[in-house]
Amino acid sequence: MKDIVEKLIQEKLAREVQAKTRRHFIKSCAQGMGGLALSSIFMGCDPLNTPPKKTAMAFSERDLNPLATLAPPLAPKVKSVIYLHMAGAPSQLEMFDYKPELHKYDGQDCPQSLLEGKKFAFIKGTPKLMGPQADFKQEGESGNWVSNFMPHFKNVVDDVAFLKAVHTDQFNHGPAQLFMHTGSARLGRPSIGAWATYGLGSENQNLPGFVVLTSGGNTPDAGKSVWGSGFLPSVYQGVQCRSKGDPVLYIEDPDGITRDLKKSTIDAINKINKEEYAKYADPEILARINQYEMAYRMQIAVPEVMNINSEPKYIQQMYGVEPGKESFANNCLLARKLVEDGVRFVQLFDWGWDTHGNIREGSIDMGLRNKCREIDRPITALIMDLKQRGLLDDTLIVWGGEFGRTPMQENRGNTKMAYKGRDHHGDAFTMWMAGGGIKKGASHGKTDDIGFSGIEGQVSVHDVHATILHLLGFNHEEFTHEFQGRNFRLTDVEGDIIKEILA
Amino acid sequence: MISIQKIVFLGILSLSILGSSCQDSEKVDFSTQIKPILNNKCITCHGGVKKNGGFSLLFEEEAMAITESGQPAIIRGDAANSEFIKRLHEDDLELRMPYEKAKLSDEEIDLLTRWIDQGAEWGEHWAYSLPEKVEVPSITSAASFAPEIASDFIKNDIDSFVLARLNEKGLAPNPAAEKNIIARRLALDITGLPPSEELLQKFQEDNISYETLVDQLIAQKNYGEKWATWWLDLARYADSKGYEKDIARSIWRYRDWVIDAFNKDLPYDQFTKEQLAGDLLPEPSTDQLIATAFHRNTMNNDEGGTDDEEYRIAAVIDRTNTTFEVWQSTTIGCVQCHSHPYDPFKHEEYYKLMAFFNTSQDEDTPDEGPILKFYNKTQQQEVDKVLQWVNTYGDKKEQKYYKDFLQFTEPVYKAHFFKEFDNSVYDDHASVVFWDDGNLIIEEAYTNKASFVYLNYRSHYNGTKMTIREKDANGPILAQFTINKEKNRTTSQFPLKNIEKKTNIYIETQNDAVAPEVNILNVYWVGFIPDMPGKNQTGWSEVNSAFIKSLNADTETLPILAENPEYMKRTTQLFDRGSWLTKTDTVEPGTPESLNAWNQDWSQDRLGLANWIVDKKNPLTARTLVNRVWHQIYGRGIVSTIEDIGSQSDPPSHPALLDWLALRFMNEHNWSTKALIKEIVMSGTYRQSSKSTPEMYRIDPENELYARGPRIRLGAEQIRDQALAVSGLLSDKMYGPGVMPPQPAGVWQTVYNGADWVESKGEDRYRRGIYTYLKRTSPYPSFLTFDAGSREVCMIRRTPTNTPLQALVTLNDPVYLEASHQLAKKTQVANNVDESITQSYERATFKEITPARLDALKELYQTSLSEFKQNEEASKLFLPFEKQPTPELGALTVVANAIMNLDEFLTKT
Repeated sequence: MKDIVEKLIQEKLAREVQAKTRRHFIKSCAQGMGGLALSSIFMGCDPLNTPPKKTAMAFSERDLNPLATLAPPLAPKVKSVIYLHMAGAPSQLEMFDYKPELHKYDGQDCPQSLLEGKKFAFIKGTPKLMGPQADFKQEGESGNWVSNFMPHFKNVVDDVAFLKAVHTDQFNHGPAQLFMHTGSARLGRPSIGAWATYGLGSENQNLPGFVVLTSGGNTPDAGKSVWGSGFLPSVYQGVQCRSKGDPVLYIEDPDGITRDLKKSTIDAINKINKEEYAKYADPEILARINQYEMAYRMQIAVPEVMNINSEPKYIQQMYGVEPGKESFANNCLLARKLVEDGVRFVQLFDWGWDTHGNIREGSIDMGLRNKCREIDRPITALIMDLKQRGLLDDTLIVWGGEFGRTPMQENRGNTKMAYKGRDHHGDAFTMWMAGGGIKKGASHGKTDDIGFSGIEGQVSVHDVHATILHLLGFNHEEFTHEFQGRNFRLTDVEGDIIKEILA
Repeated sequence: MISIQKIVFLGILSLSILGSSCQDSEKVDFSTQIKPILNNKCITCHGGVKKNGGFSLLFEEEAMAITESGQPAIIRGDAANSEFIKRLHEDDLELRMPYEKAKLSDEEIDLLTRWIDQGAEWGEHWAYSLPEKVEVPSITSAASFAPEIASDFIKNDIDSFVLARLNEKGLAPNPAAEKNIIARRLALDITGLPPSEELLQKFQEDNISYETLVDQLIAQKNYGEKWATWWLDLARYADSKGYEKDIARSIWRYRDWVIDAFNKDLPYDQFTKEQLAGDLLPEPSTDQLIATAFHRNTMNNDEGGTDDEEYRIAAVIDRTNTTFEVWQSTTIGCVQCHSHPYDPFKHEEYYKLMAFFNTSQDEDTPDEGPILKFYNKTQQQEVDKVLQWVNTYGDKKEQKYYKDFLQFTEPVYKAHFFKEFDNSVYDDHASVVFWDDGNLIIEEAYTNKASFVYLNYRSHYNGTKMTIREKDANGPILAQFTINKEKNRTTSQFPLKNIEKKTNIYIETQNDAVAPEVNILNVYWVGFIPDMPGKNQTGWSEVNSAFIKSLNADTETLPILAENPEYMKRTTQLFDRGSWLTKTDTVEPGTPESLNAWNQDWSQDRLGLANWIVDKKNPLTARTLVNRVWHQIYGRGIVSTIEDIGSQSDPPSHPALLDWLALRFMNEHNWSTKALIKEIVMSGTYRQSSKSTPEMYRIDPENELYARGPRIRLGAEQIRDQALAVSGLLSDKMYGPGVMPPQPAGVWQTVYNGADWVESKGEDRYRRGIYTYLKRTSPYPSFLTFDAGSREVCMIRRTPTNTPLQALVTLNDPVYLEASHQLAKKTQVANNVDESITQSYERATFKEITPARLDALKELYQTSLSEFKQNEEASKLFLPFEKQPTPELGALTVVANAIMNLDEFLTKT
C-alpha cells in the first residue's frame, strides 16, 4: 500500500514537472529509445525526476502482476475474509434478536407512530404485529440468544460478536445488496472483495484472489455487480467458481493436450508477445503475458482446491456436504479450503431468504426454518474447522443479509397473505462477525421491545465496512482510488470502526 | 474555443504560482472556476439531495434565494456581507463551511469572493449549449516538429484540431501505419471482421485508394452487423425477458431492423424517431412499428406474486432513464427521487419526462402485448380482405382502428383491469379465473358503441352461461351467451346491446353442472371494437368471419409500443422520494428547462419528445453520438466519460473538435452515421501507427492526445468472429432467431421453465456473435468473459479487461480449437513446416512473420509433433472433427491455436 501511495505521489510530481519541461523531457528521452529491456519499462528517464529504483520496481511488479501481495499500511488482524450473505434478507426476529414483548402484541395493529413517514416494500395500511415464530434460549458462556431454528450454532456462539442494531437506507433487494457490498446503492462501485484484493493482492498466485460461490439456485438479485470491481481494474472482480461441472469454465485442457504441451504453448505465446511489446510498448501486452502464466497455474490449482471429495469423511460429515451438488454446505467447506490456500476474499451468496409469506418456501414459519437448517450446521462446522486448524485467528467471517424484516406481518396489497411473512426492513437488523481481532461472545447494539428500531449501539453499513477494512489493516478513510477526478473509498464519506466488537 | 481554453489554462497556472493578489481585475469564470468548487465542496449538503439551512447551489434562483436564516446567503457584488463567504472564514468549527471538512484553500476562497464581488454571475455549463459555428484551427509555424510532419499527417480537418493540441504539448504525431496494419484496423472498425484477402490485395497493390477501401468496407453488409452490436448494448437487446423467470422473448426482428438501419444509413434523426415513436408517425410502416421494440427490450417480470403495475412502472422508468442515457449522456435516474445532485435537472422534470412513456399500452403481462403479428401468406389474404372492406366502407378512424387491431390486438381491457372479484380471481398469469356464479367489474369501460363484445379466453367446460350487464349485478343486460369448451386461447365475438357512455361493466358466469370453486373459464381480455362498417352490404358476414379468423391466427410476434386511446390514458404523478406507492402531484409531459426549448408545433407525446431530441438546438444529442462513435474507434471518447456529458463529466480532450464534429454531423452530413465514421477513419489521426515507447505511455497513457493510432483489445463478439473468419468457418447468413453455438453443459440454470440450450446445427454454429442467443440470466459465457454484458439495462461502455479467464477461453473453448484446426488445415503445405506456419500466422494476423516468431512457433511445432508421435491416440482425441488426424496436423493445430492467443490477434493494432 505504501508503495502505491509512494507511486502515486511520484507520478503526480513527475506529471507536474513534465508539464513544464515536456519538450526537454522528450528530447532527453529520445536518446534512450529503442532496445528497451522489460525490466526497465517503468524506470523513468526524466532527468529532473528519476524515481528511486525501488519505487519503480514496485510499480512494475504490480503492473506485471496485479495480484502481487502487498502489505497493508497498518498492522492487520486477519489475512482473509469469508463473507456469508443470506440473499433475500433473513429475519433477525426468528434467529438472533429475541423479542419476548413482541409475543404479547401478536395480532394487534401496529402503532401508527411507528408507521408515520416510513416506507415499506409491500406493507400497506395498518399491518398487524407478529410475535417471534421461533423459540429462543440463551446459549454458551456469553449467554447470547439463539433460536431453535439454529440448533448447532450454540456450539460456536461464544466465538462470534453480534451486531444487533445494523441499519441501511435501502429496502429493495438489488440496491440493498449493492449497498451492502459496494457501499453504494447504485451500480459502478467496487465490492469489498475487490477493494481487499486491490489493496492486498493475493497470497496465492495460482488462484483468483477473490472467489465467489453461490447456492440456493439463483445468483443475487443485484446480479454480478455485487462482486464487481467497479472502477478498479477488472482483475480485482470476484471469480465465480462452480461446484458442478468445470469449477471454472474452460479450466480443463482439451483432450489430447498434456500439461507439458500447454506449458510449451504458453511459452511460445509469451515469447512472441514480448517481441510485440518491444514494438508497441503497450502495458496491456505485459499484463497479458502475466495472465497467460497465471491461467496455466490456475488450471492445476483450481480443480485441486475445488475438489471436496479429497477431504476426509468426518470433515465432509461435519459440514454436511453433498459432493457434486450446489449447496451452501459445500461452499462453506470450499471457503475453508480457499482461505487455507491463501485466497484473500471468499464471498458466499445463499439465495432464498426473502420470507414475505406469499409462498410456502418464502414463509417465516416454514421456509425460514428450512433455510436455517441449510446453514446452521455448515456455518458451525466452518467456525470449528477453522479454529481447529488455527486459521480462525487469521480469518474474518461476516454473516448477514442486505436488510432485516419487519416485526409486523406482511399484508401485501392490504390483504391477508397465505403464509406468515415479514416485509423488508432496514431500520434494525442483526449481523455477526467472528475470527481474528473480534471480541468473542460480544453483543453490540439493542433494538426496542418489538425489534423495530435500534435504541443503542446502532451501526451503519459504512461502519461495518470500516471495521472489515480495519481488520485487514486499512484506515478506511485513507484507502482511496482516484476515479474521474475524485477520490473514492468504500465507505464514501462516512463510517466509524465498531470498536465495541474488537478484541 | 481554443483561445478561451488557453486563457483559462494560463489563469490556473499563474494562480498556483503567483497566488491571487495580482489577479483582482481578472473576471472569474463560473463554469470553469466556480462550478467545480461548488460541485466538489458544497453541493453534497447544499444541492439536489440535501438543502441544509434552506440553501442550495444547484440552480441560480436557489443560490440567490432567501435561506432559512431569512437572508440570502449570497449578496451579488458584496462578498464581505455574504454569509456564504463569511462562513468560509469562520473560526468556530461548528459554523465553518464546508462543515466538518478541511477549510477551503486561500485560492478557492479568493475565487469565490471575487466571483461574488463581480456580481455572482451564474454561467451555463458548456454541455448545455452548443455553439453555432466552430473554426478549424490553423496550424502555425510554432509547431515543435518539422512542417513536413504536419503536411504528411493532415488528411482532413479533424487532424488540425488534434495537431493543435499536440503542438501545445510539444509532441509530434506518429508516421502512418503500414498498409496491412491499417487495412486490418479499418476492416475491424467498420465491419468487425478482418478484410477479405481480395480486398487487401487490391489495396496493397495500389489498385484501390485508401478512400475506396473505406467506401467498399462501409458498403458491406457486415458494417451493419458490427455497428448494430454496439447499438444493441444501448438498446439492452436480449432474447429473454429477464428477472427471475427469464422466459424467452421473440424480438429478434428488432435486431435485424437495427442491422438494416445501419446498412441503409438511416439518418440518425430518423433512426431516433422511429425507435422512440415509430408508432406515432403518420401511417407507420411495419418496419417503423418494429423499430419501437427498442423500448420493449425492457425486462418483463413473469414471477408469480409480482404486481404487474409495479413492473410496468419499472419498465417506464427504465425507458425514461435509457432514453436519456442513450441520447443525452445524462444519468437522469437520480432525479427520480430528488433534484439531480449536480446537473440542472429538477425533481418534477423527471416525472414530466416519464409522462411521455407512461401512456403506452404494455402492462408487464406475460404475453407482452401489444405484440405485432406477422401473418403468413394465407393468413394475410384474410387480413387483406378485412382491410379492403373497411377501406371501402369505413371512415379514416375506422380504417385505423381495424388496421391497428389486426396488427397488434389493442386496445382491449386486460384481466388485470378487472375489479371486485367474487368467485373469480386474477391468477397472476394475465387471466381471470371464473368459478360457477363468478362475477367481477370492469371499471369505467367504454364500449365504442359496439354491437359486439370480443372475448379472449380458454374454457374448460361446455355450457357456461355468461351475462354482461351495465353498472352492476342489477343493471340492464347488455349481452348473454353460452361459452363452450376451448382448449386453446380463443377470441370470439358475441352480440352486445350498444350503449353510448362510459360505464362499469359487470360480468358473471354460471355453470351449474360444475362443482363450486372449480375453474371453468380463464378470461384474458375483453374488447369492444367499433362495428365493422358496411353492415348492409352483401359480403359483410364473410368479411366478419375473416376478421374473427384473423384474430385467431397463430402468428409470429414482436412486442412493440402503442399508445392507449384517450379513454384509457393514464395520468402521471410525482412519486414521493421515488417510491411508486406514494404518488403526489399530477404532471404533464415536458422536457427539462435547462436544455433546448420545446416547440409548440410538436405533439405532446413520444413523437414530440423524439423531435425535441433531434432538434438541432439540442446541445447533447449530436455530441453524444459523435463522442460514442469516436470512442468505438479510439477506445476513448473526446469526453472520456462517455456515459456523462454534464457538470460532473471529464472535460473534453478536444472541446472544439467535439463541437465541430457534432455540428458537421447535423448540418453537413445530415445525420449520416456512415459519413461521420468515414470522416473519422479518413483522418491522419486515425491512420497513424500505434507503435509507441514506454515514455510515450508515461506521458499519455490513455492516448488522449493522439500522438499514436488506437490500439485496443477486440470486443467479445469480434474475437470469436475473427477466429471463425480467418479459419474459413464463418457463415455469412444474416438475420433470424438467435442461434445456439456450442457452450459448456450446465451453464443455463433453468429453474422454472423447460428452456434448454439446444446446440445449433450446420452453419448456424458458425454465425456472427450478434446472432448468438442472449439469455439475460445466463449469457453466452465466453462473451461474458470478454466483457460483454447481460443486457438487463442499457450498457453504454464495455470496460475492456485482461484476465486469466480470457486466456482459458481462447486456449480451451472447443470453438477456438475447431477454428485452430480449420486454420491449420487450410494453411498446411505438404512437407514444408516453415511455409505452413508462416501462412497460418499471416492469414490470422495480416502481418509478415519475423524470424524470431517463426522460430518460436517452430519450436512449439516440434514439441507438439514429438508428443503426438509418441502418443498417436492423443492427436485423435485432440482433433475430434478430423477424419484423418495425423500428428503433423495436430501439431499445426497447436501452433494455430497459439497464434489465436497472441496479443496481436486479440488486439486491433
